[in-house]
Amino acid sequence: MDQPLDNLPLAHFLLTGAVIFVLGVIGFLTRRNLIIIFLCTEMMFQGVAISLVAFSRFHMNMTGQTFVIFVLTIAAAEAALALGLVVLLFRRKRTLDAQAWAELSG
Amino acid sequence: MSHAPYALYVASVLGALALLLMMPRNGYSPRKLGALLGTASLGGLWLWLKRDLDLLPPTSPVGLMSYYYIFSALAIGSAVRVITHPKPVYSALWFVMVVLATSGLFIILNAEFMAFAMIIIYGGAILVTYVFVIMLAAQSGDAANDTTPAEYDAVPREPVAATAVGFLLLAVLLTVFFDAGYGNLRQAPRHLGQRPTINAETLLTNRPITLLAAERGEAPKFHDVSNTERVGIDLFSNHPLGLELAGVILVVSLVGALVIARKQVEGDAAR
Repeated sequence: MDQPLDNLPLAHFLLTGAVIFVLGVIGFLTRRNLIIIFLCTEMMFQGVAISLVAFSRFHMNMTGQTFVIFVLTIAAAEAALALGLVVLLFRRKRTLDAQAWAELSG
Repeated sequence: MSHAPYALYVASVLGALALLLMMPRNGYSPRKLGALLGTASLGGLWLWLKRDLDLLPPTSPVGLMSYYYIFSALAIGSAVRVITHPKPVYSALWFVMVVLATSGLFIILNAEFMAFAMIIIYGGAILVTYVFVIMLAAQSGDAANDTTPAEYDAVPREPVAATAVGFLLLAVLLTVFFDAGYGNLRQAPRHLGQRPTINAETLLTNRPITLLAAERGEAPKFHDVSNTERVGIDLFSNHPLGLELAGVILVVSLVGALVIARKQVEGDAAR
């Protein structure tokens, strides 16, 4: 690690991060299982983490990797709360279908 | 940059079509055709970009790019399976594969500590929680017919609109990335070994990278210090407030999860 990343390899890593982020977005929109919906948000975190680490390597600056630690923190907190909510919703209606709670959209 | 955007757009459109073909649906689902089309579009885009990548001098750290292709293909393919697999448990297991491939990418990028933290926290902690909840729901749900997935897992909601929106976002992002990525190829094709001066960040803020480094008042010294030490030094010297806030967030979410989980539900008492 004695030389920063060039522009074009950086763009390649950003491509991977963007593709995984976009796949997470599409999964979040199309899946109807509450657990998989939250799994897709975790996948969006993964895409962002790849971009952060690639920029960290590009700038030879550790702040990008430090931010990934914060992303991991938020992901863990989100997983705990979201799964708690999913279990609560499942106990009410005995289904994981997000459409079962469609009346919340008004 | 004269040729690249069209390749990016074509690859985005083909990728969107491939994902649509791979989405689960009732009746005939041409999953293999979609996988073939997706592989062709991603591989074609990489081959297209590789011609310019080969122009880079061998001293630049692209010797590991072959591993980049392996891990990226693994990550993207597994991510597609996460959102298209009709069974939630398999989706979670494919997500473990995404995490492992991402860790491989981190190791290429000399971020060893984050790679192993990713495996331990995501693969070890978060995914176990997900699989636990999936098993809990599947066990008390319709366990009678666990060979066929539930209807809400097998039929996606608004697949065409969601895919169109997602890949439109992807096309725009890729245009920005590769416009910046080709910046120094276009400007100084003979000085590719020089320190890069244009990237997405400098394109957006219109400031060269040397100026950004000078503003931070630092000259990067990366020898003789391990990656873990560097991350730790940066975390504790530059982001102490963020570290404390992260601890507060974890405690609050722990309390919140306990409060949510302890709540009594009337549907539960009936069982």
